[in-house]
Amino acid sequence: MTLQECGEIEINVEHDIAIARRAVRDIAAELGFGVTETARIVTAASELGRNVHKYAGGGVMRWRALNKNERNGLELSFEDHGPGIADVDEAMREGHTTGGGLGMGLPGAKRLMDEMEINSAPGTGTTVIVRKWRR
Amino acid sequence: MHSPKRPEGIAETITVTKVREVLLVTMPSDPDDPTICALQEKTLEAMDQHTVTGLVLDLTRVEILDSYFARTVAETAQMVELMGGETIIAGMRPAVAITATELGVSLGRTRTALNVDRALDMVGRARHPKPRRRA
Amino acid sequence: MSDEGKTLVSERLETGKALTLEVQQEMLQLLAESVKEYAITILDPLGHITTWTPAAVRLKGYHPEEIIGQHFSVFYTQEDVAHGKCEHELEVATREGRLEDEGWRVRKDGTRFWASVVITALRDPHGNLRGFGKVTRDLTDRKQAEERLRLQAQEILEMATVPLVQVWDGIILVPLIGMLDSARTQQLMERLLQRLTDTGSPVALIDITGVPTIDTQTAQHLLETIKAVRYVGADVVLTGVRPAIAQTLVHLGIDVSGVATRSSLTAGLRVALRMMNLEITAGNGDA
Repeated sequence: MTLQECGEIEINVEHDIAIARRAVRDIAAELGFGVTETARIVTAASELGRNVHKYAGGGVMRWRALNKNERNGLELSFEDHGPGIADVDEAMREGHTTGGGLGMGLPGAKRLMDEMEINSAPGTGTTVIVRKWRR
Repeated sequence: MHSPKRPEGIAETITVTKVREVLLVTMPSDPDDPTICALQEKTLEAMDQHTVTGLVLDLTRVEILDSYFARTVAETAQMVELMGGETIIAGMRPAVAITATELGVSLGRTRTALNVDRALDMVGRARHPKPRRRA
Repeated sequence: MSDEGKTLVSERLETGKALTLEVQQEMLQLLAESVKEYAITILDPLGHITTWTPAAVRLKGYHPEEIIGQHFSVFYTQEDVAHGKCEHELEVATREGRLEDEGWRVRKDGTRFWASVVITALRDPHGNLRGFGKVTRDLTDRKQAEERLRLQAQEILEMATVPLVQVWDGIILVPLIGMLDSARTQQLMERLLQRLTDTGSPVALIDITGVPTIDTQTAQHLLETIKAVRYVGADVVLTGVRPAIAQTLVHLGIDVSGVATRSSLTAGLRVALRMMNLEITAGNGDA
């Protein structure tokens, strides 16, 4: 099987989170990530995918294979058009919760990945991009 | 690509078995949110129907433990305790344990065992029995 | 270089006569222009560039018209220039006759390369300083290879050497040496957890006698490791907790309650055996 360079998966119902997770696991394994690294990436995807479903009512996960300076990596981007995050710094703080949330979604995902970027404004939605590089 | 590789259906259900005085609950490899939600109901229902001293939650096949899954496990263990039983988590894989730790999940005071065999031995017994009295 | 020059040189060589100064210069010019691996330049007594060769163009990026007349400090990093390295090198070359150096130099486009440099003082028959010959070689590849080797050696030393010793059936000893950073912790956790589950060992005996001091980071990583060990279903006994370490843990507010800790490895091993329902019958059980 040859790996596509990029793709996307819609996240609308709860079960889609699991579908996105399985896709990420297959892609990560295909890109040569080890068992523990794959578990980190899949877990981060699960947290971010659930945020999209829970706080924005749905959105999309895009993924693409990275290659920079002879290093391979995986980029995941979670986009929604939900209410947005008013204070990103606040949302990144440990223990932050909204709407009976889990409080470890964003900071937890950040710890599991190498890079994280958040673009969000109230009313326009949120895009969270995470990357993991192969060691 | 990325239709899930493994067959769904049977592989995705929780099994609850009564082994002597213990309930053995086995989780599938990558349960979706509704399946995780069913864990609590099925477990408590079984606790109610059978006379058991405790519960062994078999995570041997589980590939990721995100915050939602972990929280459900911790809550279920608490509820089982309220109903007079003890929960022992068995067989968590190294990659899952490392990822869950980095994500920052908490399983509360729930005891753990390397595998189901050991867990079954542990139910209803203190983890570190007092040393025999010396002469 | 011209064909005429070549003929002239070969004729003189064949006849074995002493070379005139003119021919010597021609020969030097030929040599300087044909050598590819070495950028040969000539400086005046103050360090201004007077001769520039094709190899120098390739190595440093400057063309003759833009570099001749400039001071050779343009090849040095700002730090080196600020520390007076150029003057110092000419001074040494003047005094000793020659100077050898290795270090970072800067190309026209601002990129750096690792250079091996030899500066030789050029004197006339009367001993008057006429300038300097400067031979520069690009050793960036070698430098990078050395750096990679050094890093690998360091990694092997720092990471791979945390040995995991099966000291008893069911007990894995982890003699920790040095501090814990996140990369090292990740690597240790993976190996330790895998070993515990592969061998079905319910106890990890982590000995921190070889940890010089515990800072907040090391303590957090230690706690993380303990938590992960517990998740796979094993227990941790922490040994080698010396008075200073115990003080630090309390002062930093690190909560190790729930973890069996002992000062000596012997006492810790006794705790571990008891955890597995075994006892050393001859022991006096001070644990």
